[in-house]
Amino acid sequence: MSAPEPGPGHADDRNDADARILGAGTYAPAARLPREAVVEAWGRSRARGIDAVAVPAPDEDVLTMGVAAAERALAAAGIDATDLAGLAFGTTTPPLAEEDLLPRLGAALGAPADARTHYAGRSTRAGTRALRAARDASAFPALVVAADAPRAPPNSAEGHGAGAGAVAVVLGPVSGTGAALVGDAEVSADYPGTRFRRAGGDDGGVERLGVTAYDRTAFTRPIVAAVGVLGDDADAFDPASAAALAVTAPDGDLPAHAARAIGIAPEAVSTPVNALGDVGAAAPLLGLAAALHDGVARTLVVGWGSGAGADALLVDGVAPVEGQVGDGVGDARELSYTAALRRRGEIASDDPPAGGGAAVSAPTWRRSIPARYRLRAGRCPACDALVFPPEGACPDCRALVDYESVRLPPAGVVETVTGVSPGGAPPEFARQAERGGDYAVAIVRFEREGARVSAPMQVADADPDSVASGDLVRAVFRRIYVQEGVIRYGRKALPAAEDGDR
Amino acid sequence: MSDAYIVGAGQSAFGSSPEETYRTLFREAYEAAAPADLDPDEVDEAFVGTLGVGGRQIGLAGPAVTEHVGLHGVPCTRVENACAASGYALRQAVMAVESGMADLVLAGGVEVMTDASADATKYWLGVSGETEWERMAGTTFAGVYAQMADAYLREYDAPRRALSAVAAKNHANGARNPKAHLGFECSVEDAETADVVADPLTLYHCCPTSDGAAAAFVASESVATSFDDRVRVAGVGAASDRVGLFQRDTYTAIPASESAAAAAYDRAGVADPRTDLDFAEVHDCFAIAELLAYEDLGVCGRGEAADLALDGATALDGDLPINTSGGLKAKGHPIGATGAGQAVEAFDQLTGRAGERQLDDPERGLAHSVGGSGGAAVVHVFEAEGVTGA
Repeated sequence: MSAPEPGPGHADDRNDADARILGAGTYAPAARLPREAVVEAWGRSRARGIDAVAVPAPDEDVLTMGVAAAERALAAAGIDATDLAGLAFGTTTPPLAEEDLLPRLGAALGAPADARTHYAGRSTRAGTRALRAARDASAFPALVVAADAPRAPPNSAEGHGAGAGAVAVVLGPVSGTGAALVGDAEVSADYPGTRFRRAGGDDGGVERLGVTAYDRTAFTRPIVAAVGVLGDDADAFDPASAAALAVTAPDGDLPAHAARAIGIAPEAVSTPVNALGDVGAAAPLLGLAAALHDGVARTLVVGWGSGAGADALLVDGVAPVEGQVGDGVGDARELSYTAALRRRGEIASDDPPAGGGAAVSAPTWRRSIPARYRLRAGRCPACDALVFPPEGACPDCRALVDYESVRLPPAGVVETVTGVSPGGAPPEFARQAERGGDYAVAIVRFEREGARVSAPMQVADADPDSVASGDLVRAVFRRIYVQEGVIRYGRKALPAAEDGDR
Repeated sequence: MSDAYIVGAGQSAFGSSPEETYRTLFREAYEAAAPADLDPDEVDEAFVGTLGVGGRQIGLAGPAVTEHVGLHGVPCTRVENACAASGYALRQAVMAVESGMADLVLAGGVEVMTDASADATKYWLGVSGETEWERMAGTTFAGVYAQMADAYLREYDAPRRALSAVAAKNHANGARNPKAHLGFECSVEDAETADVVADPLTLYHCCPTSDGAAAAFVASESVATSFDDRVRVAGVGAASDRVGLFQRDTYTAIPASESAAAAAYDRAGVADPRTDLDFAEVHDCFAIAELLAYEDLGVCGRGEAADLALDGATALDGDLPINTSGGLKAKGHPIGATGAGQAVEAFDQLTGRAGERQLDDPERGLAHSVGGSGGAAVVHVFEAEGVTGA
C-alpha cells in the first residue's frame, strides 16, 4: 500500500516580498520538567529529542502566554498596540472550545476595536496560518500570535513531550524595514491518524496511532511538496540556501527528517523543541524568532499540521527580537514529575462547591476590564491624584468627578505582602493553589508623574517567602479565576527577579 | 435628651453549636440578656446585627429572630456592618433612646459560621473588604490583616512575639470565660511556633469562626430606674472609611477607629484613656488588630503597642486590662454577634458578674468594634452605676 500523493500545490502569484516582520517576541513559562524526571517516573521517556518541556503555571494559558509574547514583540517592533490594524492568533489549545479569543487579546493589549482579526486552530498549522492570514489581509501593522500548550495522556509520547510556549511577530508593509516575507505555499495531503483529538467537551488530549514510518511520511511529504511549490513561487529560491529551518516539531526527531528531505542540514533546525518540548502551533514562529535573534539572514518557515498539510514561506533578513527561547533559558525552575502533574491539573480534586458570598457578576467584572487588563487608572481633574480603580469620589480631594483615563506604568513596588496557603485560599483560588501551591498577595504601589496609587495584586510565579516589601514587580497578564466556566483575566505582579528573558 | 443605659446584657455560648440554629442561639442570648421583670410588651424597638454567613435569611433576618423570641410586632431593623454589625446595632439603640423616640430597645446580633463545609464557608470569609479587588486578587481576610502586620512590624521594627503575647493573654482570659469558644490557655511559644496562616500571622494569631448570639437591653433614664442594674452609655462614636486596605493612606493604623474613639471620648469626657478607663474590649480578629487598637484608641503612642503587649500592661492584672473576655481571639467571633458580645462583657464587668475574670470594682470600660479591615468602626464608653463622668 502506498501513501497517497500530495494534492495539487498552491503557489501564490506574489513573487516578491509582500510584508515585513518589524519585530518578534517570545515567551515560555518559568517551570521545566526535565527528561530525567520523566524517565524516573515511567522508566523511559517516549519523547524523542526532547531534554525538557515547559510547564505552564496554573494561571497561564495560551492567551496569557500570547499576551506576554505580544507585549515583547510590540516593544521590539516599536509599535504601540493602539496603532494595530490587524490581530491574528493561532493555537490548538484555546482556553475555551468556543468563544472568540481575539476580542480578549485585543482588550488585553489595548488594540483598536476595528482591527482586522483572524483566528486559526484545530491543527498545528495554526501558527503559520495566522501569519499568512494577517499578511493576506494587508491591514498593517498587524500582530500575529502563536501560542500553544498541548496536552496528551501522561504516559504517551505526546504526553512526555508536551511543552508550552508563545511567540508573536509584528507585520508591517513591504515598503518599510525589517525581515521580508517572501513567497507563500500550501499543500494538503490526506493522512488520517497521525495526531488528533476527539470531538467532545472533555477530550483526553492529543492521540496518534503510532505507526512510525507512516507518521514520518505524513510529516515529510507535505513539507517537501510545499517547499517545492515555494521554490517555484519565490524566484530563484533554493531551499538549501536557507540558513535556518523553523518548522513544526511534534517531537525532536521529525524536524531533522524534514530537513534532510528538503536538503537542509539537520543542524539548521531552529525550532526550540529540545528545550521547550512540543509547542504545537507556536513551533515554526518560535523557530523563526530564534533564527532572527541569532541574526540568520534567511529562514525557511514551515508549518505542518496533521490531516495533513503544510505551509511554507521564506523570511529574508533580520528583525529585533525580545525574549529568548532555547539555550538561553538557563534559570528555568525544574519540577519533579509529580509537581508537573499537579501543576497541569492532571491530579486534582473536585471543584469546590459553587457560589457564595463574594461572587462578582460578569457585568460588574466586565466594567472593570480596562483596569484589570491594562491597569487603566484615573487622574482627578481637580487635584491630579491618581485613583485605582478609577471610580467613585477622589480619595484625596473628595470631588465626585469623571476621571481622566491614564495607564499605570507596568513596573511597581511591593508595599506589603503575605502568603496564602492552598488550605486557606478563597474557593475561587482553591484549584490554582492546589496546582501551584502557596501564593503571595501584595499591595503594589505604582507611580506616574509623581503621583502614587496602590492596588492589591497576586504575585505570579513566586514562592511567598521570596517576596518582600520593597521588591520591584512588573504587572503581567494572567488568569485570575474561573466562575461559572467563564475565565477571568487580569494583571498580577511578577517579581523582577523572576522576570528574566524567557 | 435622655442618657442611655444598658439594663441587661447576655450572650449564648460562643463556639461551634451544631445543635442550634440562628434563631435558637438568639433566643439563648435574649433570655440571658433579659433583666428580671422585663415586660416584652415594653420593648419599643430592636436592632439586630448579622452578616448572614452561608446566605441564611438574607431578607428580614432581624424580624426572623425577634419574632422567634416573642417580640411580636416590635419594629426590628437589621444592621449590617460586617464584624461591627452589632456594635452598630447597639449604637442605633442608643440613638433611638437618646432621641426620645424609644424608651426600651433591644440591640443584638447573631451569626452561624460553622454549619457548612469548610470550602463553602470560605466563600463567606473575606467578603468585607474591597471584594472586587482584594478578594479577587486571591487575598483572604487573614491575608489583609497579615499585610497590615507585615507593614506594622516592618515600620516599627517590632517583634512578631508581640502578636503572640496578645494571643497568650487573650487565651488566658478566655480560659476564665465559660462562654468562650477557645477557652484554653496558649503560651507565647505555642503561638510563635503554630502553623503559619498568612505570614507573619500564625494560627494562634487568628480568631476562630464561631456560632453565637449576644443581646443587650438599652433603656432611657426613666425606664432604667425600674431595673436593678444600670450601666450608663457615657459616649459613643463611629466612623467609616474606604473598605479596601489598599485604598487607605496607612496600613499601620485604622483611621476609622481613631475617629470613632475621639468622638466617644469627647462625649464621655475621657481625656486620657490609659488612666480614665479601667478596661477595654477591643476588636482583635487578628493579633495585629489588637496592637493597632491600642494605638488607634490612644492607649499608647504610635509604635508603642508591641511593648505594651509584651510588658503585660494589658493583662488581667495589668494597669489597663484589655479583652478580659478573651476577645475575639479566645471568646470567639460570630461576626454579627461580636459587638453586642463586647457590650455583654462590659456590662458583666461593671455589674460584678464577670466571675473568675472579674476586675476590682471597675468604673469605666470601652468596647471597640471594627468592620472588615477598617471600613467601619464603632466605640462605646460605659460607666458603672454611680459614676458621674470621667
